[in-house]
Amino acid sequence: MLLRAHGLAKAFAGVHALSGVDFELRGGEVHALVGENGAGKSTLIKVLGGAVVPDAGSVRLDDRPLAVGDPRAVRRAGVSIVYQEFTLVPDLTITDNIFLGREHGRLWLRRADMERDAQRVLDELGVRAAASSRVRTLSIAQQQMVEIARALQEQARVLILDEPTATLSSVEVDRLLHVVRQLRSRGISTIYVSHRLEEIFAIADRVTVLRDGQHVLTQDAAALDRTSLIRAMVGREIDQEFSSAARPAASTTAPAVLEVRSLSAPPRFSNVSLTVHAGEIVALAGLIGAGRTSAALAVAGAIPAHGEIYLNGEPVRFRTPADAIAHGVAYVTEDRKGRGLFPELGVDANITLTYLSTFARAGVIDAARERRAAADAAKRFDVRAARLSQPAGTLSGGNQQKALLARFLLKPRALVILDEPTRGVDVGARAEIYALMRRLTAEGTAIVMISSDLPEVLGIADRIVVMRDGRTTGELTRAEATAERVMALAS
Amino acid sequence: MSTHRVFNYAIFVALALECIVLATATDSFLTTANLTNVIRQNAFTAILAAGMTFVILIAGIDLSVGSVVGLSGVFCADALARGHGLGPSLATGIMIGVLVGFFNGVVTTTMRIPSFVVTLATMLIVRGAAFKYTDARTITGLPASFEVLSTGAASAAMMIIVFVVSWIVLTRTPFGRHVYAIGGNEDAAWLSGVRVRRVTLAVYTICGATAALAGVLVASRLNAGYPRAGEYYELDAIAAVVVGGTSLFGGRGSIWGTLAGALFIGILNNGLNLYRVSPYDQMVVKGAVLLAAASLDRWRTG
Repeated sequence: MLLRAHGLAKAFAGVHALSGVDFELRGGEVHALVGENGAGKSTLIKVLGGAVVPDAGSVRLDDRPLAVGDPRAVRRAGVSIVYQEFTLVPDLTITDNIFLGREHGRLWLRRADMERDAQRVLDELGVRAAASSRVRTLSIAQQQMVEIARALQEQARVLILDEPTATLSSVEVDRLLHVVRQLRSRGISTIYVSHRLEEIFAIADRVTVLRDGQHVLTQDAAALDRTSLIRAMVGREIDQEFSSAARPAASTTAPAVLEVRSLSAPPRFSNVSLTVHAGEIVALAGLIGAGRTSAALAVAGAIPAHGEIYLNGEPVRFRTPADAIAHGVAYVTEDRKGRGLFPELGVDANITLTYLSTFARAGVIDAARERRAAADAAKRFDVRAARLSQPAGTLSGGNQQKALLARFLLKPRALVILDEPTRGVDVGARAEIYALMRRLTAEGTAIVMISSDLPEVLGIADRIVVMRDGRTTGELTRAEATAERVMALAS
Repeated sequence: MSTHRVFNYAIFVALALECIVLATATDSFLTTANLTNVIRQNAFTAILAAGMTFVILIAGIDLSVGSVVGLSGVFCADALARGHGLGPSLATGIMIGVLVGFFNGVVTTTMRIPSFVVTLATMLIVRGAAFKYTDARTITGLPASFEVLSTGAASAAMMIIVFVVSWIVLTRTPFGRHVYAIGGNEDAAWLSGVRVRRVTLAVYTICGATAALAGVLVASRLNAGYPRAGEYYELDAIAAVVVGGTSLFGGRGSIWGTLAGALFIGILNNGLNLYRVSPYDQMVVKGAVLLAAASLDRWRTG
């Protein structure tokens, strides 16, 4: 056994993030670590990586105890973590980043040496970038590869990938999985943390499931199927992940709520056309970088664009998101942390912000009304917080997403644009978000859903509009849509 | 909204301790004369710091407030010296601050220049204007009635009004919540329908107005329009805000923390004076207190 963790326990402020967890990693295996948000995955990998000191338990590498609470020593011993948030310095070159803290040369840097080594690792990983380019100029996927390159340069034997595909397009995901397989053939073990079950079945040799800080099972991936894995994760059966079949297909004869004609904002997107009817869910599919988010932001008044936008038949042009919101159009961001949440403010203030003035009398907020509205919304959108004044930054990903939805949907909307509404959200919360979308459509709201999750697109949308390189390339009804046809239009 | 009462308790405890120590260790601290003096000396800094709190809450900074103190005082004094009434003269002084603040806001929001640079520039421009306007001379010969503004009672009343109004605005109005939201996450605020530019513009204007109010108070205290008045006050104001627990990164802090911070520094000065500590040593002590406050904040937020 390459890596063996025994009896790990860790509590934060009295909450058990891990209680008595055992974990074993074999040499040269890909071991998926799954569980809902809050199951303890992050804590476990942070303990393994030396970033968190466990309250109890031990970690042994090659049967020698691994330093606890010393990330540097752990890295030197051969265990490298690639976190979701990268630790690269954007304005340094790839080479500088790969060798950061371990530069060659005592007094003067041996730049040529380092550059050659870095380029060799990049080539091995199939990254088409010069080692001398600045990290800032790379795509997210390439930056991730730089992180992996750094781990390889450090002779890592255990690579821990924390939700590595959360922000990758499907082509990039394939490339990453290819790299992980390649590493496996070189004898490097990978601990692969992910919410995406397809990837897990595609890549993992074994799977460990955590739930509520406890070890639920470790099994060969071949011995598991989707249903049994979900059951192990949530501790109950989710009979239908997408019960959209239960919803009658929205009729396209309903009035068009949104009509976009040849909307352009070069170089981000051009000639985007799209119609959404009342009660309809239209998915905007495509690869990352296809211009979907930019097009949505343009509709929502956050990016200037030219072209025609009609809302309920009326031509509109929103100059700010505030304008769009005033007209009943809401855009819910994909970037929860960066552009969505106010981490310092309470859950209540996060929910009420957009419609705050409606709780004011003579310019002064009626605190009781605001509190009631926040409490109602928290209940309606199933935001689970210890108390409403809890800082939103401390919620789990799924609850943050639901709080964000609550903010924009506090009042009825004509059109809602949901950008990757289930990214980084656990299976349970996902189902609740789908249920919410169905409820909204039943009330006549038109929904545009941007999603890079193909099963989700196929499972929940009435129609699918596909974008590629900033243009709309095609449209499929739910009956016509297959994964292959969507991918064909997208790439 | 309890999240808006994120009081930094540390500063209140520190202020209370400071008062207790001085009250027991000296005979002179708890005298009406001394306390009146403390209020009169620190009301301007506190008022400046109130406006500065708004700016720092949106993750900005306003370096021009000290110069605004000078220019608004000069304009107010000049109007008085020319025989205009108290009301119009005060209005003239305050107007100067509103204009400078508005200008700061317009430049920061439309040209997207960091507020540090914009207000550094206006700090120089406004101070220069004060010297130019007066030919670097002090305007004297003001009516005695002007001095009424800076009596202990009037200073205290003005300070309390400024803080109570600021508190209501920050915690009880949509505008105030928008201030916290912009400081917490500007992009998210904009996408959530907050009119970020408008709020930012208003925040700098408020800061300019409070600076001008402090300026006329200073002029009243000096009973003169002194073009150098308010030099380095911007630093005192920033120190008060920081010691009061407001984050320089924006989005977190409270107006009462600022008041406590301003009083803490003011009373510290007072205590050091009572102990006849030299002004040079006082600067060292103040610097150390500022560092301690900032590191306490770091430690608290992790």
